[in-house]
Amino acid sequence: MNSTNFWKLLGALGLAFALPWLLLVVLPYLDQSNASPTLYGEGEEVEGGLLAYPDRNLQRHGASDYGREIYAAEGCAYCHTQVIRPTYAGADMWRVGWGGREEAGLARETQPGDYANEGVAPLGYQRIGQDLSNLGHRITSREEMHRHLFDPKSFDTDSGMPAFKHLYRPAATGEGYAPTPKAEALVDYLLSLKKDQPLPKSVLSGN
Amino acid sequence: MTVPQPTQEDLNERAAIDRSARYPVMFFFTSAAIWLLFATVTGFVSSLKLRYPELWDACPFMGYGRLFPVHYNALVYGWAMQAGIGVMLWLMARLTRSRIQSPAALIVAGHLWNAGVILAVVAIWFGAGRSLLLLDFPGWMWPIFAASYAITVVWVIPMFLGRRNALFYISELYLIGAAVWFPWIFLTANLLINKGSAPVMGAGTNAWYVSNLIYFWMAPISLAVAYYIIPKISGRPIYSYPLAQASFWVLAVLAGWTGLSRFMGGPFPAWMPAVSGAATIFILLAILATVANLMLTLKGCTKLWEYSPSLRFTVLGMLMLAVYAVLSALSSTFVFGKSLQFTHFVAGLDTLAFYGFFSMTMFGAFYFIVPRITGAEWPSGARIRSHFWFSTYGILTMVISMLVGGIAQGSDLAQWDRSFSISFVNSNAYMMGRVLAWALITWSNFYFLYQLALMFIGKGRKSAGPTLIHAEPGEVPSARAAVGIH
Repeated sequence: MNSTNFWKLLGALGLAFALPWLLLVVLPYLDQSNASPTLYGEGEEVEGGLLAYPDRNLQRHGASDYGREIYAAEGCAYCHTQVIRPTYAGADMWRVGWGGREEAGLARETQPGDYANEGVAPLGYQRIGQDLSNLGHRITSREEMHRHLFDPKSFDTDSGMPAFKHLYRPAATGEGYAPTPKAEALVDYLLSLKKDQPLPKSVLSGN
Repeated sequence: MTVPQPTQEDLNERAAIDRSARYPVMFFFTSAAIWLLFATVTGFVSSLKLRYPELWDACPFMGYGRLFPVHYNALVYGWAMQAGIGVMLWLMARLTRSRIQSPAALIVAGHLWNAGVILAVVAIWFGAGRSLLLLDFPGWMWPIFAASYAITVVWVIPMFLGRRNALFYISELYLIGAAVWFPWIFLTANLLINKGSAPVMGAGTNAWYVSNLIYFWMAPISLAVAYYIIPKISGRPIYSYPLAQASFWVLAVLAGWTGLSRFMGGPFPAWMPAVSGAATIFILLAILATVANLMLTLKGCTKLWEYSPSLRFTVLGMLMLAVYAVLSALSSTFVFGKSLQFTHFVAGLDTLAFYGFFSMTMFGAFYFIVPRITGAEWPSGARIRSHFWFSTYGILTMVISMLVGGIAQGSDLAQWDRSFSISFVNSNAYMMGRVLAWALITWSNFYFLYQLALMFIGKGRKSAGPTLIHAEPGEVPSARAAVGIH
């Protein structure tokens, strides 16, 4: 094989790869980068007077931006997913509380806009622990969330979750433990996990 | 058909090429091997932590969420990629009959790469990880890997262009492919993910990166090795050259489409996981055709498997590649995928790729290359045999526990009216299997590392004949002749 053939070979390899590279990755990525919130249409009354989906403030809670980094650094996503799949692809919607507030008729599968505050959506690698898409609706008390991190087995003796004791320090009073700023931020982030904002009709119909 | 015997001039030339490759290739090989030890030990400890979550729970460094990415990044960037780069350099030099021109630059690049892996592992361990599979290291670190890879692989191209060998081998096609594809996928994934402007596509890009790393780097390098070692040791030409070329191009056209099927039903346009799944299924044809082609090359001389360590590991690696392709295709369909998604099955498949088929083929290549570049033979065939069987049982235990455990976990997860923690409790036995598997694999690698260390410090066996797995070389002259072809 001479050098002309070599460049031909490189060209062919490049061409074979450029197509999926552009169509599957780069263009959809840039397309999603440009996505802007969708306004609710005429006559669509949404609780809280929200104007558009996604509403980024709904998914924000205290120091949740820092808490997200703790979530990533502790590798939470290796055991916890944040994806609610449609019923054709799994039983996620059937688990109580996973898809959102069922009692308000708001449970649904997750949509791209639900991750608007993330840099990269923590969809998760495995589902060894529960799905956390709507954890902020299932656990609303700070206290309880801390207890889940500090001593998960106090809720469910069969729980496979490790205790994150290194995020807590002995309290100054000498009794019990106090959360570090990292633990507080992580709890803020976990409380912010809500992915059931009602979708505008135009999003539902795909326009 | 017989292969012409090499002349003395050919042998001298090969020896000169091997000498030029000695220091850079041995540098990559030994540092890869040290990372392998680290990765298997952390694999063992992280599996133990998953099975017994209450262990060491006050220690931030012993959480599964940190240990697992530490283990995985060390396994892939420390061991697999460095082993692959070393093999790529030596193989390209031999196939094109060019000497390695700049051993010093390669060794510098090797140090840079190792510095990158150390930084990545330390960063993840000390809490700067990003929870992105194989892109866990902080965003500023990718240029280290990119620079090191560029310094290394840039030498492959002039070797290829300045070739002194008129024949063009199928292995070269795979090597050139891998050399070109890796920087492309690596840069794309890092740049897009660091941009951070499209969260869901960021996660999609990560899944695409992992899958492309398997099909565009791990698979091509191990196929290049298999297309070299199997004809070399059996002394026969490839069964069908056109089939080999066609399968290469099928892989080249399709592999870029894979990866998104990891998130079927996720917040992606429905066509993406569907296209990825379809691509994975079509790739199965290419992989099965390739593996069949290689096995047919060996037809009638399977007895060589008894003697040649390189052949044994390579053939095992190829069989695992076939199993990997079949199971990936199955889990890419909705029928199976929907209950296997997010389970141990998927994680087990990843391990089957990064540790299973890739590492086995690399061991095959090491057993072939190291004696040639160090000028000594492996000290003990019995230890090679132990390495082989402990690896085989280790990987079988791993794959069976993870795959069967994943199926069980998937069906537990689907039972939405039962407590969630049942899926964890029921998978305990399988996770014990995973612990055992890493223990076996770690043990097997002690045999390998011990021998490699002996070779490295020049304590190899000085002998005219190669080290065989079983009989004394003198007892099997035919096999000895076949294995001894340089």
